[in-house]
Amino acid sequence: MADYRAPLTDMQYLFREMLPWKLLHEFPGYQDLDADLADAVLKEGARFSEEVLAPINRSGDEEGCRLEEGRVHTPSGFPEAYQSYARGGWPAINCDPEHGGQGLPRTLSFLLEEMVCGANLSFGIYQLLTQGAYHAINIHGSEALKSTYLEPLASGRWAGTMCLTEPQSGTDLGLLRSRAIPMDQGGYRLTGSKIFISAGDHDLTENIIHLVLARTPDAPAGVRGISLFVVPRLRLNEDGSPGADNGVTCSAIEHKMGIRASSTCVLDFEDAEAELLGELHGGLRGMFTMMNLARLSVGVQGIGLAGAAYHAAVGYARERLQGRDLRGPRFPEQAADPLMVHPDIRRMLLTMRAWTEGGRALVLRVAAELDCSLQHPDPERRRDSHEFVSLMTPIVKSLCTDIGFDVANLAVQIYGGHGYIRENGVEQYVRDARITQIYEGANGIQALDLVGRKLPEHTGRNLRHFFHPLQSDLESWQKIPELQSLVEPLAKAFGRLQRATGQLALKGLQDPVQAAAPASEYLRLFGLVAIGQSWAQMAASCLEPESRSNPAFRQAKLDTAEFYMRHILPQSSSLFASIMAGADALEAFDEDAY
Amino acid sequence: MAIRKVGVIGAGVMGAGIAAQISNAGIPVVLLDRAGKQGTASLAEQAIGKLLKSKPAAFMSRRNARLITPGILDEDLERLSDADWIIEAVSEDLALKHSIYRQIAGIRKRGAMVSSNTSTIPLTALVKGLPRSFKQNFLITHFFNPPRYMRLLEVVSGDKTSARGLEQVLNFADQALGKGVVRCKDTPGFIANRIGGFWLQCALLEALELGLTVEEADAVCGRPMGFPKTGVFGLMDLIGLDLMPRILDSLCSLLPAGDALHAIRDIPPLLSGMIEGGYTGRKGKGGFYRLKISAEGRHKEAVDLRSGEYRRPEKPRLESLRAAKAGLRALVEHPDRGGLYASRVLLRTLAYTASLATEIAGNIATIDQAMRLGYNWRHGPFELIDRLDSEWLVGQLEQEGMAIPPALADAAKKGGFYRKEGGVRQYLGANGGYHKSTRAGGISTLSDAKLEAKPVAANAGARLWDIGDGVLCLEFCSKMNSLDPDILGMLVQTVTELPKSHRALVIHNESTNFSVGANLGLLLFASNIAAWSEVEGLVKAGQDAYSALKYAPFPVVGAPSGMALGGGCELLLHCDAVQAHSETYMGLVETGVGLVPAWGGCKELLGRMACNPRRPRGPMPPVQGAFEPIAEARVSTSAAEAQEGGFLGPRDRISMNPERLLADAKALALSLASNYSPPEPFAFQLPGPSGQAALELAIQGFHRRGLATEHDVRVAGKLAWVLSGGDHGGPCSEEQLLALERTAFVELARHPDTIARVEYMLENGKPLRN
Repeated sequence: MADYRAPLTDMQYLFREMLPWKLLHEFPGYQDLDADLADAVLKEGARFSEEVLAPINRSGDEEGCRLEEGRVHTPSGFPEAYQSYARGGWPAINCDPEHGGQGLPRTLSFLLEEMVCGANLSFGIYQLLTQGAYHAINIHGSEALKSTYLEPLASGRWAGTMCLTEPQSGTDLGLLRSRAIPMDQGGYRLTGSKIFISAGDHDLTENIIHLVLARTPDAPAGVRGISLFVVPRLRLNEDGSPGADNGVTCSAIEHKMGIRASSTCVLDFEDAEAELLGELHGGLRGMFTMMNLARLSVGVQGIGLAGAAYHAAVGYARERLQGRDLRGPRFPEQAADPLMVHPDIRRMLLTMRAWTEGGRALVLRVAAELDCSLQHPDPERRRDSHEFVSLMTPIVKSLCTDIGFDVANLAVQIYGGHGYIRENGVEQYVRDARITQIYEGANGIQALDLVGRKLPEHTGRNLRHFFHPLQSDLESWQKIPELQSLVEPLAKAFGRLQRATGQLALKGLQDPVQAAAPASEYLRLFGLVAIGQSWAQMAASCLEPESRSNPAFRQAKLDTAEFYMRHILPQSSSLFASIMAGADALEAFDEDAY
Repeated sequence: MAIRKVGVIGAGVMGAGIAAQISNAGIPVVLLDRAGKQGTASLAEQAIGKLLKSKPAAFMSRRNARLITPGILDEDLERLSDADWIIEAVSEDLALKHSIYRQIAGIRKRGAMVSSNTSTIPLTALVKGLPRSFKQNFLITHFFNPPRYMRLLEVVSGDKTSARGLEQVLNFADQALGKGVVRCKDTPGFIANRIGGFWLQCALLEALELGLTVEEADAVCGRPMGFPKTGVFGLMDLIGLDLMPRILDSLCSLLPAGDALHAIRDIPPLLSGMIEGGYTGRKGKGGFYRLKISAEGRHKEAVDLRSGEYRRPEKPRLESLRAAKAGLRALVEHPDRGGLYASRVLLRTLAYTASLATEIAGNIATIDQAMRLGYNWRHGPFELIDRLDSEWLVGQLEQEGMAIPPALADAAKKGGFYRKEGGVRQYLGANGGYHKSTRAGGISTLSDAKLEAKPVAANAGARLWDIGDGVLCLEFCSKMNSLDPDILGMLVQTVTELPKSHRALVIHNESTNFSVGANLGLLLFASNIAAWSEVEGLVKAGQDAYSALKYAPFPVVGAPSGMALGGGCELLLHCDAVQAHSETYMGLVETGVGLVPAWGGCKELLGRMACNPRRPRGPMPPVQGAFEPIAEARVSTSAAEAQEGGFLGPRDRISMNPERLLADAKALALSLASNYSPPEPFAFQLPGPSGQAALELAIQGFHRRGLATEHDVRVAGKLAWVLSGGDHGGPCSEEQLLALERTAFVELARHPDTIARVEYMLENGKPLRN
């Protein structure tokens, strides 16, 4: 069975050498943050993931969740693991110290999330939703809501959910039907049915706080009439402790392709006591606060699974002996050479490595800007960072979850027939990864968000935060001879991205279909270039004389960068051709002929 | 007998404004009023002083003030003895008017026309008791305020008015003063104020009744309905709140008892209270809106219609406003209070108008024209009825229990007040038949040409129309007529294709603004993605298109009206000649967004300055001459001023009447077409770095005095570098100068401060001073 090892060395390198430390230290409260502190946290996170979470990953998958008498039971070992997770203070890692949190930056918590999800994605989902609820209440909630809910959420005593989907209303939230009726004595009573609610019910915490989208009686139709409500599973007593049932029942759980240890519920709300969160009819905004953070986190899940799959595949390719090196036996004393000697296996391994490490570096870059957008003292700087994050969110979500699936799939390929066998564990990565491309806004929706909203906003100002730094990076790298072989293909791909962006903007103005049709390919092209930039940045850092990483590590980075530029980045050429071909061939095909 | 001299009696706002507009036509005017108080200038002299300071400017060129001779009515009446037309513009006092007419009758030259600028008093009352010879030369010419800018002129003639004299005045008003002349029947308030007064009062009362905020009312009863975007409350602030009761009183005192206006004439206490308190609008202490200047700075306030107190503005949030995007019907049929408001105001106003169809004018098209020109409605009332559908309107009126005016019933039966027949628009006449509108000779607009035929060529940004006699007309149709690759492409295509079938090109459109310049959105987007080669490509494409136009084997005449800024101005500079509407506002404003003109604007303006024989010789004066207007982003406030500033040259002409612009431009193009040969390129002799240094010195001075920001200095420096010939100076070809423009443009476009300026301009519609 595949064991899990957290990619600690790579994470430590990224944290030590790729972070804008000067910038982070400008934030209030971050003056004392340094790589050593981060090191200690990362090491402890790696230990927890490897020793506590990884061992119950496959058993959880086999056992799945059970619904008994209206309550969901998570698989064996999950409640205990969750207790120890909460005791370790992990849920509060990036929460406000005011609510008992540790106030650590996103840059760090994303890396921890990656380890948790790489070790056990199902487990990671419970904590992701709790985090989302914490931040939504922290940003949009009244003081009363904050003082009631934030400490228990941060401490891990309570968990959270986000309840959007209804049977008739998935991606299209305008179709929502759940109702919230205002009460004379204040507050609301909420009634409706929600489906696909992750962590909707479970036995990990003493209470569950649902954030629910619903309509008030006089609300306008469509998305402008949606409000967000806080609905605890158990009503709160005067002292804030959980009391009686609040009319929230789990009537069914889904039987899924993957993340089987994560409970996915049908929740029925009947006259449940609810409190308004944020503005009346402004529910979408509150929900998007959660969703935007969650989208980045889902990208992190993809990288987590990719890292796990890569680690397993490398181990297998070293151990498994099959066939001989085409240039003659490498280990004549053995019956066969290890898989590793075969070019196609190496191609797959390097592809997996280049995507995974590149994606991780990209996530960290976005996380640093996210921290900046939340913490920087200068409002203009915060705005710029926010715009960068908002541009990159659909790219991180979509590209990194594709990476998760593709890399997991390659791991199965390297394992061959053994990969297809449940006991060996890698097929679970494929099944688990599959959902990340779908939930929190399917990847196609991410692409539409990118071209339909993020591109045109302020006549392309979001783009400036990506294109201008890359342009000046390229100009400075061009002066470094050792980087030439990397910079040239990157500059070419950048040019393609510029032209494709111009084309989409121009055509999209006249006809939105012209921008929507190649949106997914455009997002991928954008992501290819963004990860290319991350690789060039890593290569440049490995050439720095004062780099503290060991020479073998640096060489591996440089070689992987080279592989990425020569063998993966050229995909930009075919994507470009397809994007420029527009929507005509798509539209020409007769719908009846499908 | 042409009109060569005019007299105006009464130097109030209207009389003085009329005198100014006559001077704008280049015609001398005598302006008479009473003597001033002891020791002060005469009222007419004072009026001229006020005119020179008025905003918006009354004079198209300050020099025109010299064409007005002020005088005192009782002393200088003789000065009117050689006037061809005498306009009485005194207060609405019949006895006073009569006494003036008697005075005029004594001194006017034989056949000289006399008219009154009355807004309410019928002609029959004005001429009562006057000799027949006076009646023969008398008419009403009702101007709208301000006379330079409001195009409507309502004309009422009596049955004794001589046809020849009348025609003279009409021609003069149309061609020299640029007015849209509308013939009215002799009824109180004529056309525009009768309907407009009803509309304003109705809109005011309904807003109060339905409990709308002023912001809501103005958002509904404004742009979505094709009314001025100020809305009714904003409009009342402009015209003066105190004018409302006066208009209503004077109308109601003359209208028959059954007129619907009587039923709504009462002035609500809120309005009378505001007037008493001096809150008469922009001219007073404030109106329904005011600009509050407090410790926190300047902010707008609006009146709460319930309490009458000022409060912070409230953004209107009405579902009906969103629905209005689907059309007028969607707005008036919307159930919220915005929709209800729209429907009540429209129903009543349109029903009232339809009931007057035959009473106040010869035909409905006249009424529509009066409301378009006099109240700036986008569509006249009968056009609005057609947009709503006359049958639907009848149904609505029936539901409300309102009477159906016969004209409306007829239109509902026949399918509308207008129809298109054989490429011609026809209106429904009182006799039940459809008729073609008759217009003064020489008027032919692009709309006419467009009704008749399909464009010769078209893309998303421009269309090409055949306007007859071998002339094509290029029309922009992009957003705000901003110049984009589509338009440039059409220009290039026209240069190659036109000679195969045609002789000349006119560039013209009927939008409010000829062109606001290059599409900054494209530039900003390209800048945001660091696509600098695209930016340079965009610049080069414009230069190539404009050069192709300049050296095309046929004459090109630009025919602008409104703003012609930046790239739009550069385009005109490349034309063989320009036939400009008098209200043309030209300027190279690129420095406002941190750039320099680079579609040949520097080159062409420099060339013109160099060709000006009145400038001193040597390389520096033309450079100086081009530098100042560009560095200051100066915009002319009229075509006359553009001429004085060098944007229009000796071959360029001005049309006062925009409806004559196209025909005038076409005639000019045809006059150039015989034996046409393209112009010789400029060969510049430029001062080089020494010239640049001299210009920069001046800029540094501004900077030190806090009048120019650092980026202003940077931009002006680049401009100086281009205009003085770059790094070397000496002889310089057009191509070399264009290359300098490109280099400077792209360099500036990359600067973050320029990007910030461009973005600010696009998002806020005004320049950023960074």
